[in-house]
Amino acid sequence: MTWHDLGIISPAVVAVLVAAAILLVDFVVPGRRGPVLVTALAGLALLGFVILLQGGRGADTAFGGAYVLDGTTVFLDALFAAIAALTILFAVDYLEPRGLPLAEFAAVLLFAVTGAMLIAGSADLLLLFVGLELMVLPGYVLAGFARRDPYSTEGAIKYFLLGSFSSAILLFGLAYVWGITGTTRVDGVALALARVVAGGPLAPGLAMGLAFMSAGVAFKMAAVPFHYWTPDAYQGSPTPVTAYLSVGPKVGAFAIALRLFVGALGPVKADWLPVVILLAAATMTLGNLVAISQDNVKRMLAYSSIAHTGYLLVGLAAYAGGERSGLAAILFYGAAYTFMNMGAFAIIAALQRRPGVSSQISTFAGLGRRDPWLGLLMAIFLLSLTGIPPFAGFWAKAYVILAAVQAGGWLTVLAILAMINAAGAAFYYLRVVVYMYMRDPVGDAPAAKPGLLFRLGLAVTCAGTLLMGLIPIFLTAATNAASTLHG
Amino acid sequence: MPILTLITLTPLAGAIAIAAIPGRETDLIRRTALGFALAAWVMSLGLLAAFALGPVGFQFNEALDWIPSFGIQYKVGVDGLSVLMVVLTTTLTWISILASFKITDRVKGYMISFLILEVGMIGVFIALDLFLFYIFWEIVLVPMYLIIGIWGGANRIYATMKFVLYTLVGSLLMLIAILATAYSYQVGHNGSWIGAFDYQALQGWAAGGHFGDTFQLIAFLALFLAFAIKVPMFPFHTWLPDAHTEAPTAGSVILAGVLLKLGAYGLIRFAVPLYPHAAHQLAGPIIVLSVIAIVYGAIVSIVQTDLKRLVAYSSVSHMGFVTLGIFAFSASALQGAILQMINHGLITGGLFLLVGVIYERTHDRTIAKMGGLAAIMPIYCTIFGFFILASAGLPGLSGFVGEFLVFVGSFGVAPVIAVASIIVMVLAATYLLWMFQRVALGELSDFLRGLGGHLTEINRTEIVTLAPLAVMIVVLGLFPSLVLDLLRAPTQVFLTAVGMGG
Repeated sequence: MTWHDLGIISPAVVAVLVAAAILLVDFVVPGRRGPVLVTALAGLALLGFVILLQGGRGADTAFGGAYVLDGTTVFLDALFAAIAALTILFAVDYLEPRGLPLAEFAAVLLFAVTGAMLIAGSADLLLLFVGLELMVLPGYVLAGFARRDPYSTEGAIKYFLLGSFSSAILLFGLAYVWGITGTTRVDGVALALARVVAGGPLAPGLAMGLAFMSAGVAFKMAAVPFHYWTPDAYQGSPTPVTAYLSVGPKVGAFAIALRLFVGALGPVKADWLPVVILLAAATMTLGNLVAISQDNVKRMLAYSSIAHTGYLLVGLAAYAGGERSGLAAILFYGAAYTFMNMGAFAIIAALQRRPGVSSQISTFAGLGRRDPWLGLLMAIFLLSLTGIPPFAGFWAKAYVILAAVQAGGWLTVLAILAMINAAGAAFYYLRVVVYMYMRDPVGDAPAAKPGLLFRLGLAVTCAGTLLMGLIPIFLTAATNAASTLHG
Repeated sequence: MPILTLITLTPLAGAIAIAAIPGRETDLIRRTALGFALAAWVMSLGLLAAFALGPVGFQFNEALDWIPSFGIQYKVGVDGLSVLMVVLTTTLTWISILASFKITDRVKGYMISFLILEVGMIGVFIALDLFLFYIFWEIVLVPMYLIIGIWGGANRIYATMKFVLYTLVGSLLMLIAILATAYSYQVGHNGSWIGAFDYQALQGWAAGGHFGDTFQLIAFLALFLAFAIKVPMFPFHTWLPDAHTEAPTAGSVILAGVLLKLGAYGLIRFAVPLYPHAAHQLAGPIIVLSVIAIVYGAIVSIVQTDLKRLVAYSSVSHMGFVTLGIFAFSASALQGAILQMINHGLITGGLFLLVGVIYERTHDRTIAKMGGLAAIMPIYCTIFGFFILASAGLPGLSGFVGEFLVFVGSFGVAPVIAVASIIVMVLAATYLLWMFQRVALGELSDFLRGLGGHLTEINRTEIVTLAPLAVMIVVLGLFPSLVLDLLRAPTQVFLTAVGMGG
């Protein structure tokens, strides 16, 4: 390890150091929120600055080629840092009334983000797996963070069991690929595969490896039929954690897909294209169909997040179908989804600031009248999730669909299916709007008065949702980032 | 001066201004909304006055690069057709806002919704970039969803969801078609996205016959579905009676007056000129569907028991003339169709306002409960009768000219169909006059008598909302050339695009 290596992975290093600093501060002045919060936010600001510096650095590798710093790494690092910052902003108001510790929450979250950043830059299958585990293990802790709440514990156990199971499956698949190609370096695997494929059809061992890896990654993405853990884990977790779980590990899983499927398995993409098409079709259709019948908004958004996995997979399928713009579309979609989905969960968290408020849809009855600002913001996030212009979600869908249309063939059919799904999804997103604006409040819930930090978080998510599509720099950033991916 | 952008942004500025006013200042909110809507109207009249009649093509063009990596532009411009539609939009919007002064529930949100709706509607008519067009098209959806869902009648939630889901299915498929069209253009230009969403570039490309036949068919069908749902054509019309019936009066006015025209406009501007081959192939079935809509709408109107529902179904019939006129591919039929779009906006808009006046006083729209209204509200019934006659196509009023031109234009193409649809004018007279008779003439019904002093004559504000419509109906009925002159160039372009020009 050299200073140069450390410089390349500096975002991950900073994230770990910030987490450690938070724990240290909590150790020195126990039970005080202020110092912890200041440390966390200052640390995240530092992290953002470091990532900004990385952006100006140019492509480079570290640890003998195991870690790569390129446009995609920087883009994803920035996204993960934003996710961490937003989660902390949203969590303060929620944890305090429930007596849950902030320091542990922030530290665990930052460990998870460190893992995600390692995935973002991994050029080696082993590092990829280590990053993955570092990302998901803290996730189990966060899911069970409200440990006195049986639902939280139940969700955490399910998440943990299925998560470990899927990690093992993924590792098993990696072992096969390693066995056949003789290397764990992403580009080495790609080279070896290109040679293997040139010699004829896929070897059975390689096919096994592919199948196991696809299943493992599909678990992490929550793609149908590997999605069963999602609704319980999302519904049971404390709402700010759900906000994080719905975007952090999901973008992380797609980062794995970008590094693994694009970087390493790019040469055999024709072989996994049908699988991705089927996964995408099943995921969005089932996610949407089940979401329609949900009466709990958190659970509904959990199924909706499954549907969004499906739309993201359309981008991956477009890539496999020969259209590289699918990769930029995935990155753009990931960022857009982060803002609008975290925003939507944040509104639920705001309503649940008083302990005991459920996330049933009836909680939203008359919100537009009771609390005009929260209602308006929720409406914006939901319309964006539906894919109505001019909000970010529309542009994300448009870019994914454009990539699919460009790839042509079965991808066009998939694009049409995606759009029919999007129309169906409007039903359950707008149902919440119906409750907020077209029904009278039940009982008299006092207006939720979110704190200053919470409002800051809402302002950021709202600005992102409003502006991401309208200002072309985000697309340019995603396109530039994606152009650095090999494969 | 970028007048088109100014007209589009004026209502948006109004919405922002209203957002800054505290919700309890309802009077100020109403007046601000009306002020901005009137400002947009005045500017659109200025646009009409400054519009040059002679030249073919678009005027007042503005173009700015927006998303260069895909060649998406902010590009707007107007021809004779869009100028008329913009003026219709701005006119009906201020009338609707004035007619909505009676709304007392959440006035702020209502007025903001209405002004944003106006932004979307104007945008659709001036956009010359397909992506921009799509964005404005979808922007229209949300405020209307809220207007029906929040300020509508008892069954409003069902109606508004149905409206949104129908429209979304069509428009999302249209999005795929737009993207596929742009991509096809890009492939044809060696991978350059420049101009791929530009309407004029695409039309030139289409005129060169560069879009393949199968591609045209699929893309046309996707666009056609989106527009046919909006028009609405039979059998995609089932959302309309519910939406119309449940919407507040002004919502119905805009729905009938402008939103339905968005579909017809889309057919004339985009679907047919971009995919002329497919349009020719499918013209037969579409004409048949149009005639079914004309006949079916009229027959169903006869049996309606609810005033608003009757007017709603009559819209299906009247809009059938529009689609018939478009797909007859002849100059007079197309001009008739466009004239019919305007007439329908004026006349049906007026009829919804008039139904609103009764509903306001009786809180009922059941025809059977009415009767003898002329004795109590003579001025109201005179105006009502005027609009009924206009809707029935009385010569001298504008409704007649449009239907007559469509008849003449389509006679040359398909005499049987033209004759069949002209017979429907008898049916139209039947359901309209019979409705008038049951509402206005005869003995005063017990229900109305029971209302006593609540049944007041139409007031001045209500007359102000109706007067401009009545004036335009008479003027266009006597001097249709005012509109037809504007349409000469667009008609020529349209017919050239479908290979019937010259």
